[in-house]
Amino acid sequence: MSKNRHEQGEEGLGRELERLLASAPPPKAPAWFAAKTLARLRAEKAEKRGPWLRIFQWRWLAAGLGVALLILGITRPDRSSLKISDAEVYAALHALVQEDEESRWWAGL
Amino acid sequence: MGTGQEETRDEDLMALIATGDEEAFRQLVERHQDRVYGTVAKMLGGTGPDVEELAQEIFLRVWRAAPKYEVKAKFTTWLMTITRNLVFTFVESRRSRRHEWQRKAEEDGEDLELAREASSGRTAADELSGKELAEAVDRACAELPNGQRMVVHLRQYEGMEFEEIAQVMGMSLTAVKALMFRARGNLREKLSGYFGASN
Repeated sequence: MSKNRHEQGEEGLGRELERLLASAPPPKAPAWFAAKTLARLRAEKAEKRGPWLRIFQWRWLAAGLGVALLILGITRPDRSSLKISDAEVYAALHALVQEDEESRWWAGL
Repeated sequence: MGTGQEETRDEDLMALIATGDEEAFRQLVERHQDRVYGTVAKMLGGTGPDVEELAQEIFLRVWRAAPKYEVKAKFTTWLMTITRNLVFTFVESRRSRRHEWQRKAEEDGEDLELAREASSGRTAADELSGKELAEAVDRACAELPNGQRMVVHLRQYEGMEFEEIAQVMGMSLTAVKALMFRARGNLREKLSGYFGASN
């Protein structure tokens, strides 16, 4: 029966129904639809990128800290070689005293 | 429906979108937003945040699928296939949610008739308004099973050929024509009181 109808060209809704359905056309998208869709796309992209950014930031932070510690370790003066012998202390004090004496002599004191 | 030239432009836009071009995406959305939004609204039986959100999701799917997009059919056919997939999934999940809600309402001793009226968002005052015919048509379409409703929409409002509809629906041509035949019978039955009213 349906085949006969199809052959008779009754595959669609028929004029009467088409007219009725035409009285209720589909609504159009709101004016801001494209802008909101684009905003949602950007938000989604940012959300996706977010965790990776954070991971990269942590990586850079960890790497930076490591490099800083390395540089500090290399350039840090060896405190063990900074020991001053007694003789050096006495020599320095003697130099100060001598300088003071010379100053007093020049001042006529 | 677009011309052959327009299809080429859609494909060009898709190629640009595949490279991450947001301007091309905006153009594509503006070009097809009424088609997608209208289809979603008709399938969900009205407008509202759900319709807007779902229509946006369809375009986001287009964005995500752009790098893999291959020209096998008209762009609109591909777009409407995505629309059909998402709409059917949404309608099914909403139906199960609504059933759950109605079951709870029954358990709570609420008047089921009131619940039905609330879910359709209609009041007696609306029935008496000048939009009665359009609302009756929308209501009759909304009561059709998903497949029949989609076929009617694509044929009536998108002006698609049966071959294209078959591609969108993922069905044979015969199956689509059978759906249309059943939809016509259902609509005639539901709208018989309005025949002659649209003249």
